[in-house]
Amino acid sequence: MRNKEPVLDDGEVEYEAGPESCWGNFEDDDVMQQQFSIQDDEAKKFPFVGDKEPLSSLAAEYQSGSPILLEKIKVLDQQYAAIRRTRGDGNCFFRGFMFSYLEHVLEAQDSAEIDRIKANVERSRNALQTLGYPELTFEDFFTLFLEQLEDVIQGKETSISPEELVLRSRDQSVSDYVVMFFRFVTSAEIQKRSEFFEPFIMGLSNTTVEQFCKSAVEPMGEESDHVHITAISDALGIPIRVVYLDRSSCDTGGVSVNHHDFIPAAGDLPSARGSSEKNNPFITLLYRPGHYDILYPK
Amino acid sequence: MSTPARKRLMRDFKRLQHDPPAGISGAPQDNNIMLWNAVIFGPDDTPWDGGTFKLTLQFTEDYPNKPPTVRFVSRMFHPNIYADGSICLDILQNQWSPIYDVAAILTSIQSLLCDPNPNSPANSEAARMFSENKREYNRRIREIVEQSWTAD
Repeated sequence: MRNKEPVLDDGEVEYEAGPESCWGNFEDDDVMQQQFSIQDDEAKKFPFVGDKEPLSSLAAEYQSGSPILLEKIKVLDQQYAAIRRTRGDGNCFFRGFMFSYLEHVLEAQDSAEIDRIKANVERSRNALQTLGYPELTFEDFFTLFLEQLEDVIQGKETSISPEELVLRSRDQSVSDYVVMFFRFVTSAEIQKRSEFFEPFIMGLSNTTVEQFCKSAVEPMGEESDHVHITAISDALGIPIRVVYLDRSSCDTGGVSVNHHDFIPAAGDLPSARGSSEKNNPFITLLYRPGHYDILYPK
Repeated sequence: MSTPARKRLMRDFKRLQHDPPAGISGAPQDNNIMLWNAVIFGPDDTPWDGGTFKLTLQFTEDYPNKPPTVRFVSRMFHPNIYADGSICLDILQNQWSPIYDVAAILTSIQSLLCDPNPNSPANSEAARMFSENKREYNRRIREIVEQSWTAD
């Protein structure tokens, strides 16, 4: 004979989730939130921007893993000298883009490029004003980015070394402000050309363009997709190469690694250094599903 | 000391003084720009009409990269407001962005009053009543409105 179980009250169970998890209304969401917070804690162990590492460190990650990936890393090894990892906190695309761009300007010392980018930054500022964003909400982020741009120009009292650039990229009070600056620029570009971006956004998230910007571009930690990359590349006139490291393979035999070049839509490209190089992106990011790191070509 | 957070809050305050959105007001407490008192007036022609609801906003030095902690001081009855006055609103949590200044935060909370999100209940009684018994729900709101005139 079975013991009598205490009869539970038949009333509804009321879940009153804490404020941390209140945007989920079921237990599953609580579990998900907890998972996110564990991922957050894991991510925080890694600096926003890591040190340059040889590609062998990438291969080491997959030693007992997919043979396709290892084959692809061999192919990458022929073209790329190093990888610089970024923290996987949802801002990795913008963080990688920030570091890669400022590092390029620091090395190239190309004053025409600096003038060009400043003009585009002003265009983004005007676009935000036209869209009705209060100046006070974005001006600090613009100022801080322009300061970083000034500081990588050498030969001034405020000039910074490559080592200092790494330190700043790891300093939250600089790094997060610059990431947020790029988010503003991206959002402005998407809304300015909403007719162009609308079909892509509908395909991704089935929301309006404005809603997409509010929920998937402007908040920190929201991951970037091809819409974000297209928008920032167009807005600032900076070509970006994204190299894809995934398990896809083709039947034709040899393993190859796909890449896609985001070439700014406007004719406004970085100054021509010989026409053949004109569209050659100087920013290369390695994409693995859900994450972007920086690659250095040989 | 003037930090980025404090400088930004001064500008938030100026905007709120010079260009105040209808039905909200707010100001930092004396000697502490990081702690604000605010009032949201219940929107006209709704059950909330006539209510004056007090809140506090606690900012950190991470503002505007991190949202303030916003809490109703007045007693509330609302699907997305906890018993302790804290608010379940996406822009104050995972959808926060520095594009929101104090004026925008208060305006968003004001529109939440009449436009609750039943998918994230913070007060299950209010949430249930909102979807199942609007008449009783509205009566409870009127009670809260009347309480807001007398309570400190």
